[in-house]
Amino acid sequence: MAHPAPRHLPFNAVAWTIAAFLIAALPHLAAMPPWLAGFIVGACAWRLVVARNRGSRPPALLRLLLTGMAIALIVLAFGGLWGRRTATALLCVMLAAKMMEMFSMRDLRLVASVSFFLIATQFLFSEKLIYLGYLVVGSLTATIALVRIQDIHGRPAGAAPVAQAAAVRNGAVLLLMAMPVALTLFVLFPRLAQPLWGLPDQVLDGRTGLSDDMSPGSISNLFLDDSPAFRVEFEGRPPPPDERYWRGPVLWNFDGSTWTSPFSGDAPRRRFVPEGEAARHYSIQLEPHERRWLFALDYPVRAPDNATVTVDHQLLNRHPITALTRYELVSNPDFVDMPTLPDGARSLALRLPDGRNPRTLELAAELRQRHPDDRELIAAVLRWFREEEFFYTLSAAPLGRHGADEFLFDLRSGYCEYYASAFAILMRAAGIPTRIVTGYQGGLWQGGSDYLLVRQSDAHAWTEVWLQGSGWTRVDPTAAVSPDRIEQGSGSVIERPGAVFNFDWLAQLRNRYDRIQHLWNRWVLGFDHDRQRDFLQRLGLPDLTPERIAVLMLLVLLIVTAPINYFLLRQARPARRTPAERAWHGMLGRLRRLNLAKHPAETPLEFAARVEAALPQQGAAFRSLAEMYCRIHYGDRAGHEAAFLAQARHFSPRKA
Amino acid sequence: MDSARSASGQPSQGLPRRWFNAWIVRRGPTRPPLTLRYRQIFILPTRFGWLLGALMFAMLMGSLNFNNNLGLLTTFIVAGLGSNSMLIAYRNLEGLRILRTGAAPVFAGQSALLLVSLAGNAGRPRPGLEVALDDNEQIVSIPANGVSEVQLPLPTHHRGWLQPGRCRVQTCQPVGLFRAWSWFWPERPILVWPRPATNPPPLPEGGGRREGQLDQPQADGDEFYSLRKWREGDPLHRVAWKASQRHDTLLARELRRPRSRHLALDLAQTPGQDLEQRIGVLTAWVLTAHQQQRAWTLRLGPETLGPGRDDAHLQRCLRALAEFQ
Repeated sequence: MAHPAPRHLPFNAVAWTIAAFLIAALPHLAAMPPWLAGFIVGACAWRLVVARNRGSRPPALLRLLLTGMAIALIVLAFGGLWGRRTATALLCVMLAAKMMEMFSMRDLRLVASVSFFLIATQFLFSEKLIYLGYLVVGSLTATIALVRIQDIHGRPAGAAPVAQAAAVRNGAVLLLMAMPVALTLFVLFPRLAQPLWGLPDQVLDGRTGLSDDMSPGSISNLFLDDSPAFRVEFEGRPPPPDERYWRGPVLWNFDGSTWTSPFSGDAPRRRFVPEGEAARHYSIQLEPHERRWLFALDYPVRAPDNATVTVDHQLLNRHPITALTRYELVSNPDFVDMPTLPDGARSLALRLPDGRNPRTLELAAELRQRHPDDRELIAAVLRWFREEEFFYTLSAAPLGRHGADEFLFDLRSGYCEYYASAFAILMRAAGIPTRIVTGYQGGLWQGGSDYLLVRQSDAHAWTEVWLQGSGWTRVDPTAAVSPDRIEQGSGSVIERPGAVFNFDWLAQLRNRYDRIQHLWNRWVLGFDHDRQRDFLQRLGLPDLTPERIAVLMLLVLLIVTAPINYFLLRQARPARRTPAERAWHGMLGRLRRLNLAKHPAETPLEFAARVEAALPQQGAAFRSLAEMYCRIHYGDRAGHEAAFLAQARHFSPRKA
Repeated sequence: MDSARSASGQPSQGLPRRWFNAWIVRRGPTRPPLTLRYRQIFILPTRFGWLLGALMFAMLMGSLNFNNNLGLLTTFIVAGLGSNSMLIAYRNLEGLRILRTGAAPVFAGQSALLLVSLAGNAGRPRPGLEVALDDNEQIVSIPANGVSEVQLPLPTHHRGWLQPGRCRVQTCQPVGLFRAWSWFWPERPILVWPRPATNPPPLPEGGGRREGQLDQPQADGDEFYSLRKWREGDPLHRVAWKASQRHDTLLARELRRPRSRHLALDLAQTPGQDLEQRIGVLTAWVLTAHQQQRAWTLRLGPETLGPGRDDAHLQRCLRALAEFQ
């Protein structure tokens, strides 16, 4: 071999580095296909065994082959879709492949420091409170690994490595000392008011939340998802429960099975919406859902920064929501949407696919004959829903080609999407312009009435019909069937599969945890450009430019690091003397007054001999004291100390 | 010290480098004994430090862009680690005392061992100090209030006084993100004796006596010198009876002490043209003479050393040989 054989890295350093990597990669591993995670864990285990047995790196060809295989695995697992999950999985796999050639200090350091990066990327997926623990444990392990790695090189040849406990303590102290700087930067580092670049949509790989289309049966698993969708804080009186409709995507097009948004659905709203008298002021903290839409009560007066209002009064953010986002809104519930309906919109809102749902069309014609008035017709249908045997259930069967027929005449049980879809088809067939609105409905008060928590399970779909004189008007057919769903929230109607665990105390615990999570979201995660400005304003620093905030940050950094600097750079005080040493030096002082000074180079016994010669009477006593002192100082301290102290105190030399 | 060569083997250094060294010297004491203060301590990120810095920048940009506060917190923890590790690296050197440097003389071609004694002054241990001279690096840890020594091998090529170049004491503690270092120059040059010739001609035996230096006969010797007329007081056993018979007068043997003739080692006697070769031969002679415990004088141009045969004489001779121009 041309290059020298690699030096064996100590097992300790390798183990800590791998631990740091595995802890940082843990959430990523959990999100991967198991065999990919298995590959990564296997590579780590292999490296540990090799470190234990002082083996060497595998041949280059094998390394290349394994790495190629791992990348092929990723392509297989993610189907070539380039998203954040793919990117982090690739990073994990590359690091696992690095394990195979991690035979120098530099490689170890690389893996340990990329662990920090892995930790940071996890927060792109979730910033829940529990991940604070992950952050702490992960960075602590990575820091200890770095300390261990430094010890490989920075230790004299032949010296024993730093003890495990000392390395852990050093790492912990390093991390603790980093905290003042980290927290100062966190509070004062100027935040961006607007992102520098947006995420291309295809980077996102979707997760729970509403989708931008609706086919009855598709979102049923959403109702079992208890994770928070968003939280709302109201200024002033909150709206009554039956007005808590959080507007999301508005669907116009129906192809027979699926409702979708029209092509022009993203067009900005041209109409001015006044605040009105019943304006509602509130702020929403939206959990990241990787879509662009924001939710609002009807009808938002103006869009938050970086967002627009569409013609359908939906809020669209400029970029997908990838982090907890807070925005403030004013809604005017009394606004009349489209007092006159343009022809284009009317035909769009009446269109139905041909050859579908013949029985529904028949029913619509029949209803139309009986009730020429739109409002009466709607009331009749809702009455029919309420009085006939219609049920609200989440375990509904999927629908076939004539979905509305099956639902209205045969099944008669389903959830909001079934009702909304069937109702909209019926209305359109009866000649009433109708569109479907998806979003969330309801929400639970948390902590008394601090804030309203809307969960994914509160996802809902309802309809809007256009009526002469009142424009687009919300009609919720589900409310007719299951008023509880609207009054008390989704929790009241859902029989969960795991109902055994649905105890009250558990629910309370969950609510309490959500309260902490809310505070966490509000004060830590939601600390953005605006919050930072508010915070500084409250400190009496009005409207600082980012440059000024940066200067302030540097100043505060200097102040908070001063104690650390002092602690690190102070001169150590001489070690405190033991009582025996104090007594001994007291005697020396008394002898010095008799011109009997101990030379620095003299041992106690040598000095005692000199004292014995100079002071014949007390010399012997001093000699025995000096012997005791030596025994205490170099031998066992226990037995002699008390006697020595007592005798030494009474020793007063006198010139003969 | 103008004649001293620098350890890096380049007698004349570039102008920028000389200016740089002069700048370092202006900043504070650079020859032991010295205590390192902030003006003498330099600090820069290591390659790993730059790497982590780049990683941190990527994390910062990503987290800022997505307004990801936990990501930012992670980034800032790394930043805090970095700033503290800068401070700790500095603190590991601050107050370090370089007590003395020194090296025993060696023959040209051998490695001199430059001994550097280091001590802390602030009662804190100083782990992982790297002391380096050119490419040679030794790692040393100083216990709290203790003294540690390192020996740096320094190759030599020419006889004379060797001024070792700039030495560096540095540390990358605690996690290798920053390198703090300081420069110092060894306090005195190292004596490099000439390289002894490998196959020297035999010691020049004959030429030890000269006019004015004739040995005087001494009565108390035991080696025959000459015959002379008997004088009163001559012991009987000194009488040369046979010769007396031939000359009809009493003759006595005159004896002298066998004065061991000291070797006169002279540069002029060495064969060859090249001065260095001749000095090498002379060095080999001096060493052989010392080994054989014979007295010698060393004559280098106008200067004569000795005679003598002890270690001190050897040292003087070797030093004269090293310094001879």
